[in-house]
Amino acid sequence: MEEKNLNEKESLELISQMIRNSRHKLEDGNGMPFLVWGYTTFFISLLVYYFIHKTGDYHYHWLWFLIPVIGSIGMYITKKDGAKHACNYVDRIIGNIWTVIGIAAFLISLSAFCVRLPILSFMILLMGMGTALTGLVIKFKPVIITGFIGMACSVVPFVINGNEQIIVFGVIYLIMMVIPGHILNYQSRRRHV
Amino acid sequence: MFKELNPLLHSELRLGIMSILLSVEEADFVFIREKTGATAGNISVQIEKLSEAGYIEVQKGFAGKRTRTVCNITKKGVDAFEEYVEALKSYLDINR
Repeated sequence: MEEKNLNEKESLELISQMIRNSRHKLEDGNGMPFLVWGYTTFFISLLVYYFIHKTGDYHYHWLWFLIPVIGSIGMYITKKDGAKHACNYVDRIIGNIWTVIGIAAFLISLSAFCVRLPILSFMILLMGMGTALTGLVIKFKPVIITGFIGMACSVVPFVINGNEQIIVFGVIYLIMMVIPGHILNYQSRRRHV
Repeated sequence: MFKELNPLLHSELRLGIMSILLSVEEADFVFIREKTGATAGNISVQIEKLSEAGYIEVQKGFAGKRTRTVCNITKKGVDAFEEYVEALKSYLDINR
């Protein structure tokens, strides 16, 4: 592109082409946060289950707090690699949704120290809400569907007894976050072919 | 009756930059360069012109150790862009 004058038709074509290109570019990389948090939660669930199952020591529940630590490091690394060079209204809305969800999740985790709470159900419900809202904002059906499936699955820990709840919790995260994350990334790659 | 086309926007690169900034809340220099395919020097000159006209705001900061220039369109820029598109329509016999 240079500093040259265009005719009227070329001007209109240029405007629509630039707007279209910018929109596609911003949709790229939406899958990474889902993958980072989904896989982190899944593997930490396995770790917690393994240690509690082997030792019977419930102090291993402290390992849950590795999720925000590892997740934040993962987000930092993925953002650094694919630094976002532009931001639109949708990006800001999604960012704000997850900030609110993250704060709520953190406060519920803290409350669980004082009051006995069905913490796994709350976490599934919160993350399901975040996923469904993200899907609705970006108008992407797989994310909407897995988000609502996740929300519905928040009752599952009530019907499963014992430590198996932890495994089920991890699997629900795989369905709710990892699957849509891979679908989003696949769609993004396909746009570049 | 043909409306006058704003000469500041009726240039390929400046119009490209304005179109990009209209579709995002903000974009940095790298994004604009990637989307327009223009040289860094040329983009700098055009960004300066658009900024002087009050059509865009430019913020210089840092991303790690590198400098980062972020641009966003202003209300005046949006108005000018709308007027420009309206003028284009008059030439192309749209809405007449």
